[in-house]
Amino acid sequence: MGKFIVQRFLAALVTIWIATIAVTILIHLVPGDPVRIMYGSFQTTPEELEAIRVRLGLDQPIWRQYIMYIGRLLQGDLGNSIVGDQPVLDILLTRFPATLSLTLASLAIAVVVGMSLGFLAAYKRGTWVDVSSMVLAIVGVSMPHFWLGLLLLFLFALQLQWLPVAGGDWRSLILPAMTLGLANAAVLARLTRSAMIDIFDQDFVRTARAKGLPKSIVLYRHALRSGLVPVVSMLGLQFAYLMGGAIVVENVFAWNGVGRLAIEAVFARDYPLIQGFILFFATIVALASVVIDVAYAFLDPRIRYS
Amino acid sequence: MVHGSSTAELADTLATSGAARKRSFWRALLASPSGLIGLFVVALLVFCAIAAPVIAPYDPLRMAAGPRLDPPSMGYIMGTDDFGRDVFSRILYGARLTLQIGVIAVGISLTCGLLLGLVAGYSSGWTERVLMRLVDVLFSFTEIVIALACLAIFGVGLTNAMIAIGIASIPFYARVTHSVVLVEKGKPYFEAAIAAGASHVRLIFIHLLPNVVPTLIVIGTLGVSTAVLAAAGLSFLGLGAQPPQPEWGFMLSSSRDLISRAPWMMIFPGLAIAVTVLGFNLLGDGIREALDPRQRQR
Amino acid sequence: MTPEMTQAPLLSVRDLTIAFGKGAFRNLAVQNLSYDLMPGETLAIVGESGSGKSVSSMALLGLLPPRSATIEGGSALFEGKDLLHLPEGEIRGIRGDRITMIFQEPMTSLTPVLRIGLQLTEALVEHKDMSKAQAEARAKEMLELVGLDDPERRLKQFPHELSGGMRQRVMIAMAMAADPAILIADEPTTALDVTVQAQILDLMRDLKHRFGTSIILITHDMGVVAEMADRVVVMNRGRKVEEGPVAEIFSAPREAYTKKLLDAVPRLGAFAAAAAPRTVVAQPKQVSGRLVHTSGMNKTFRESGLFASKSTGTAAMQDVGFDLDAGETLALVGESGSGKSTTGRAVLRLLELDSGVIEVDGTDMRKLGTNAMRKARREMQMIFQDPFASLNPRISAGRLVAEPMVIHGLSSGKEMEDRVEQLFLRVGLESDHIRRYPHEFSGGQRQRLSIARALSVNPKLIVADEPTSALDVSVQAQVLDLMLELQQSLGLAYLFISHDMAVVEEMAHRVAVMRRGRIVEIGPRQAVLNDPRHPYTRALLAAVPVPDPGRTRGALPVIDAATLPMGALAEVAPQHQVAQ
Repeated sequence: MGKFIVQRFLAALVTIWIATIAVTILIHLVPGDPVRIMYGSFQTTPEELEAIRVRLGLDQPIWRQYIMYIGRLLQGDLGNSIVGDQPVLDILLTRFPATLSLTLASLAIAVVVGMSLGFLAAYKRGTWVDVSSMVLAIVGVSMPHFWLGLLLLFLFALQLQWLPVAGGDWRSLILPAMTLGLANAAVLARLTRSAMIDIFDQDFVRTARAKGLPKSIVLYRHALRSGLVPVVSMLGLQFAYLMGGAIVVENVFAWNGVGRLAIEAVFARDYPLIQGFILFFATIVALASVVIDVAYAFLDPRIRYS
Repeated sequence: MVHGSSTAELADTLATSGAARKRSFWRALLASPSGLIGLFVVALLVFCAIAAPVIAPYDPLRMAAGPRLDPPSMGYIMGTDDFGRDVFSRILYGARLTLQIGVIAVGISLTCGLLLGLVAGYSSGWTERVLMRLVDVLFSFTEIVIALACLAIFGVGLTNAMIAIGIASIPFYARVTHSVVLVEKGKPYFEAAIAAGASHVRLIFIHLLPNVVPTLIVIGTLGVSTAVLAAAGLSFLGLGAQPPQPEWGFMLSSSRDLISRAPWMMIFPGLAIAVTVLGFNLLGDGIREALDPRQRQR
Repeated sequence: MTPEMTQAPLLSVRDLTIAFGKGAFRNLAVQNLSYDLMPGETLAIVGESGSGKSVSSMALLGLLPPRSATIEGGSALFEGKDLLHLPEGEIRGIRGDRITMIFQEPMTSLTPVLRIGLQLTEALVEHKDMSKAQAEARAKEMLELVGLDDPERRLKQFPHELSGGMRQRVMIAMAMAADPAILIADEPTTALDVTVQAQILDLMRDLKHRFGTSIILITHDMGVVAEMADRVVVMNRGRKVEEGPVAEIFSAPREAYTKKLLDAVPRLGAFAAAAAPRTVVAQPKQVSGRLVHTSGMNKTFRESGLFASKSTGTAAMQDVGFDLDAGETLALVGESGSGKSTTGRAVLRLLELDSGVIEVDGTDMRKLGTNAMRKARREMQMIFQDPFASLNPRISAGRLVAEPMVIHGLSSGKEMEDRVEQLFLRVGLESDHIRRYPHEFSGGQRQRLSIARALSVNPKLIVADEPTSALDVSVQAQVLDLMLELQQSLGLAYLFISHDMAVVEEMAHRVAVMRRGRIVEIGPRQAVLNDPRHPYTRALLAAVPVPDPGRTRGALPVIDAATLPMGALAEVAPQHQVAQ
């Protein structure tokens, strides 16, 4: 298992490494002069633009820029934002806790609601329980996050006035987390159902039944424990989707996380911030998938004991 | 035989059997509830898009076509927006944009993804390993971040958003294609074709592709949903459609500050997106069931 | 052996009828099946695929797939209760305790995420009210009984740490731990190698005597029936065809179907007196000369990827070499993992060797470029094991058969059309089959299709990889006949890969026995099969079940893997070489 974890960790490093290359190239793919685009709205003379170009290292050949970028990166320096001229890493770290709490709360909702619904549907396959949960799930999958968010906002915050429209405390977390969590619960319910149906058709479930074990033991000990393996392996991807979804949901609820920051950065053409965001995002997702993979390895003895 | 040295009778044979196959596919599709509903919704969407100028009671861009923020009534069945535009007419015209998004975005990602996945899957060895490693990494960035990066490069706008979404989904299509190619390559019929002396062209175009395409049809149909959702999301954030385009996501975003005063401005465009996405999702599921006889029996 | 007729049956099945599907799709899987199982007897239920033999036994325990199969009628009396009409709670109390089951696929029949210990004890805890410690003690005792070493450690292992044979032993331990009245064994050895099969059958017989269990043995293999059964029920298409004591069924079958089935069973030793396969055509085509020469073939499969170490890997072929004459059949026999399929593929260059020589008709295949190799494939075709997967499902039968001709540009237009039709008729298919697609054919017909496809370019060599092992015996016999007939009238050479010694004896001129990537014995069929010199060949032959209840298989020779000679071949008799 040690080898497996090291492998996954190295794979995560490769992901992050490719991300650094991608963000370095990104700025060169911008049609026209990136410096002019970035600072176009400021009052700047050509001399000042040239000075900025030198300061950002954009006058250097691309490979040297990359080396410089990596060098600064290793010192924890992601550059300064164009707007506000603050260290990008500081901005990201200030904003990240908000995104993290939203993502984790949504993940919890998605896992609890999605997995139980999917499991129930698989177990009651072909009955009205199955049909109605799957209708619910496909409707959930088809709902735009932001619309679901607006509907919840309209209903719970404006009509019923149970929850605040925005703010920063835990009560204002409920609506965004519900929005993101329920939308992903639908995806997870569908995945869990098909994974569990596969498991129920396996020979070993038949063996367990042939042993005359009570349904609950067949279900929880044999089927569910085996079914958790493929389901947990999907969670890494789910986490990434949640992080992505958070970008939109944060904007619906004015939740001050990195997602909102990213949109502001794209509008402002604040390339150091955009680069920093992409790299940061890739790193978080890669590390999360290592965590998930280790959990997965722990559930599957074929990996745990090899 | 259809390919080149064809004989009339065998080609004819193929045609009749092909027709029979198609017939049974359509029968299975229409027999499944999801296929039937999906087909209906998609047909309705296409109809709206084509017939928008005929059905729409007002010009979607005309301001003050009616009173501002008028609730749904006989005259304005979905109400009017803050500029007095007819929401129903805007939604009908929005269907055109939505279809365009679906076709362009899926077209880009399907073509590139198919090519990448096929090359990687067929070549094997280092080409495959490097390509797929790259695709996996891009895939883990998630589509929305790739789309944001593209928009940061191209600048905002609906056309750019469509292209960005198309590019963002390439890794997904490449992965699916790659895995299907690997499955098909692993089947004995592929080795049998090699053993018979088949050339690369024959292996790819006669043996692999026809067995890969059905999965891609399913994925492409489902992909339209994803593309529509993503485009609406970007427009909602202000990165896609720009005023005064009657794009549904954009309409939603302009409803945000008026939710309490004019909930219809929020409800109807959202409903339009959800129903469209649901339609393509159901159609995709239906096609999958109809193509896979084992699923049909379940 | 036959139980006395006065004895009351342990289990009495009457008029069992089972259907799959509903309405227009209703399909009777079992119709009015009746039989009795006596205490202490082994009843074999035999039949080919689709006979309903498995379904009928699953129904007894309420294990039919829910929502697709329904028991439409009948009764099954066991200890005064009708198993078919018991509430779920009660049938569950019998299942796994009074009546237990083992299944065909040992690799997938144990829960992968649970330890062997838990899986062995949970039924005991459930049914026998044993404490965990008591159940574990019993589990250890059972593991020892089924011949697994170090039971203490086994209890802590997970299924993936055991081989297929070991897993089937665990399944048997699990089934016998409760000391059941009836053991239902559904094809218990079908997925196993022949030497492992022999051990498992011996084990089942031993445990049956020790525990006095009655066994319902479901199988398609007449050899296994002859070896294990006291009485036999023959089933075909959901109905009982015939029932009787095993000796009577084999010596004096009453029904035509049973006779046909028995006739089709290949018997090892049936052709022991002949030096060559029987001649089935009036005027065999005369061919001669060496067609294939191989030597020093090596292939190691290495793990690919960034982290794979260069040194590890499984050696699939080590120093393999043989000759094959035109018009001759060389059989490659061996168990799973012996490298026989790899060898077949290597000869056709479907995989690249690490080293070695392959000459076909004097041309060194490994020196050919891509295009030259493609052209050379015309001379050498292949027939695959799985007739369902080896035909592209999206291409019509006619196009499939014509494909090699199209590839090699041999004919076109009307001429090719005629040739395709002629080939269809040649292999026993009909001309209206040309329009169909592979899924519309039965397994045997598909294999005929594969043969027609291979024949279309008039090859000199056909590599046949287990061509009949996926087929029912009656179909197997027809396909083997067809292959013999084609060989003799067209002068084909076969490289015939098989695990079935009896089939090999029927088909081969010469035999090569493979074990762990090496040829351990090679020679004329009579030399190798009648006078085996290598201990492994002897073990392999001794393990083959004899489809004759009158003859008992001798005791299994114990082979010690460590001391088996696995070195270079040396001649022990003319043309007969054995590893030293």
